[in-house]
Parts: sequence; C-alpha cells; structure tokens
Amino acid sequence: MTATKTAGPTEGSTDEPFVHPALFYRGEEEYLDGTVPFIREGLKVGHPVAVAVPGPNLTLLRDSLGGDAASVHFLDMTDAGRNPGRIIPRVLRAFADAHTQTHVRIIGEPIWAGRSSVEYPACVQHEALINPAFEGRDLTILCPYDAERLDEDVLTDAYATHPVTISGGSRSTSPSFAPGQIVDRYNRPLPEAPATAEPQHFGVDELPVVRRFAVARGAELGLSGVRLDDLALAVAELTTNSVVHGGGFGSLRIWAGDSQVVCEVRDRGQLNDPLAGRRPAARDQRGGRGLLLVHTVADLVRIHTGAEGTAIRFYLGGC
Amino acid sequence: MDSLRRANASTSVAAPSGNALRLRPLPDRAGWRAVGEITSATRPAWEQTLERLTLRMTLGEEIVCHLEMSAVTFVDVAGASALAVAAQDLPAERRIVIERPPVTLPRLLEMFWPDLSVIEVVAR
Repeated sequence: MTATKTAGPTEGSTDEPFVHPALFYRGEEEYLDGTVPFIREGLKVGHPVAVAVPGPNLTLLRDSLGGDAASVHFLDMTDAGRNPGRIIPRVLRAFADAHTQTHVRIIGEPIWAGRSSVEYPACVQHEALINPAFEGRDLTILCPYDAERLDEDVLTDAYATHPVTISGGSRSTSPSFAPGQIVDRYNRPLPEAPATAEPQHFGVDELPVVRRFAVARGAELGLSGVRLDDLALAVAELTTNSVVHGGGFGSLRIWAGDSQVVCEVRDRGQLNDPLAGRRPAARDQRGGRGLLLVHTVADLVRIHTGAEGTAIRFYLGGC
Repeated sequence: MDSLRRANASTSVAAPSGNALRLRPLPDRAGWRAVGEITSATRPAWEQTLERLTLRMTLGEEIVCHLEMSAVTFVDVAGASALAVAAQDLPAERRIVIERPPVTLPRLLEMFWPDLSVIEVVAR
C-alpha cells in the first residue's frame, strides 16, 4: 500500500483518466474536508461538478458551499439512486455524457447507514461496476463512506470496489481492489419467495396473460396509477426477455414485501453482461431498453444469474 | 391529396391470448387509428405503419399526421422506441400528433426522449 498525504481525489496512480476514490469520513468535519475542496477546485478550473448524496449531506454541502452551490448540480441520492442499478445510467452517465469536453467531477454516495441487507448486494455491485462502466472516461467519481456508522464489512468491500481510498486526509492505493470479484461474490441466490406466491408459467403465447395477471395482483396488493403502469412495463420487458433470450419460457411470482410489491421473473437463460441495463440507450437506438427500463422505474432490482438460469426480482413502492 | 386518408389497406395482427393490434387509416384526417396492444407480438405491424406514415411525411405529402390511440391498452418500451426513432428521422417542421394514448406511452417518451418536440401528445 502506498500513502500520500497531499494528493487530492482527482489524482490517479496510472495514465487512466478515470479516477474513483473512496472517501472514508468520520463526522461532518471530515466529510466537508474531503468534499468541499474537491468541489471548489473543480469549479475554479471549470470542471462541471455534480453532487449525488443523501439528503442530510446534501444540505450540509449546500450550506458549506454558500454561493458556490449555485454552480453545482445537486441530486438527493436517496431518490435518484434509491435503486442502485439506475445510478450509472440515470445519474452518473447522464451528467458525464452531457459534459464530454472536459474533466468532470462527481461526488456519489450510494451507500449510507440505513441501506437494508436486501439493498446492499445491489449497492456494492453498483460500486464495482462503476469501474468498467467509466474506464477510459475523463472524470473523477468520489464516493464518501461514513466510517463511523457503516459496518466494517461495507468498508472492507469499499477497498475492493475503489482503486484508491482517502482516509484522515491520506490517499492510498487500495491493496485489495478487485471489482470483478465483488460482482461475482454478491451474485447470490435470492431469498425464497413466499410459498403463497405461486409461480405463473409463461411462454410466448402467455405474455399478455401473465402481464395482466401481474397488474391485477399488483392492484390487489395496493399499487395504483403510475406505479401500476410501471409494474406492467417492467413485467412486459422481463417476460419478453425470458421468451426471446432466456430459453423461451419463464415463471413470474408477485407478492407483498414489507412496504413494497415484489415481483420476480425466472428463466433458464444466463445474463453474461454485468452492465446490461446500466448503459444509457442512444436516442436513435431501437432496442436494448428493457432492463434499463426496469432499473429506471423500480425502487430496487436484485439479480442472480448463473448456468442454471436467471432470477430478476424488482421492488415497487407506492408513491 | 391525402394519401393516408385514402389508403384502404388496413393492417391487423392477431396474436394469441387476445394480444392483437388493428391499424386502420383515419377517415377524416391524415393518420391511423390503432386498437389493441403494442408489444413484441404486434410490433411488426406497428413498425410497418410508422414506416408508411413517416414516408408520406418525408415525401412532403403530409406535414402533420395523427395516431389515434384511445383504444390502445398497452405500449411497451420497444413500441415507444419505434415511434421515437421514426419521428427523429422526419424532416423539419413535421409533426406527429398522438391522440389519447395509454399513459405508459408519454411516460416512456418523457423517460427516454424528454426533448422530442416532433411528437405532440394529446392526453386521454
């Protein structure tokens, strides 16, 4: 491990223009010390700057930046990044792709104390996938981690998903950077669905039937309006993917979670591209929006894939 | 001359389990009326109609065309993509008016093509 006291977050250790440091902070002072200079230095040299962090830290940063806040693009990560699977296409790429002529600075805090154990595998896979998603791109994504309140395992994983880390003002090369291993390690079988959620089997002829079944069941479980439409759209994409890419058949289950409706589609196909559904689609691109749509509308998407098949489970809350 | 209005060839795709789409020229203005669902099963007919519609507009035979969709019950993202991509290829000043589509269609257009001004949606 190498440690440098003075190097800033935008400084990488190789010729790779993409820089992805984790910032371990303890308390507000360290948070601001690690983020505000990063923002102000960027603004000073004309870098576009975006901040996507949970609400309380968003307020803290806005207040600390004073007049400079007006030059920063702010997003509440608990809303924009509630589903970690949509952060790359809808938050990070959306901002970076709009500013391709210069270095871009983003502060992204997708993991906060309070993320559930159901959410966490998707969160840490997202952090790992940022690396291949932005390889070669001219930007820095600084990811704060609350070292006081997050579990030790979360901080250990952050070393694996970030090539460099910053702690107590010191910047270090991670000794355990291995994002691919994180993607694989958290590709875990999903918890059993409730026995009462009986599988609805479908092939090409049953696609409209299974979609209507899901919508009817979703309504019974409390979804309405836009969220019921989102359910129909997501079910249509996943079931069609099963028929087209997943062996021609699949099964759907839907049930009530703690505060959300949970829907799962299984088939015999294998998802070989971990970035599937995490790339923005070109405006003139006809296909390839199915999984992106599911990530966009869902509050959470969990995926388990392997030689035996793929299960995609998405969560929808009312709104 | 309103070629679309005069067209007498309607397109109909009947897929299993009630997943069907019927497309017929509008009797009183340039464009088509759609009835049914726009999904993977019926997309070929939808895309064929969009090609015919945009060809007329590209050739200058129509400036504004209408798609009357009050009897369409569902549009998937690929159906919305077909519409958006077709609209992007139109010459300047052309406009497609989508009349009373299912709410999923404007939601998808806003989600993936938020600044596509060539499509005008008249809500249900």
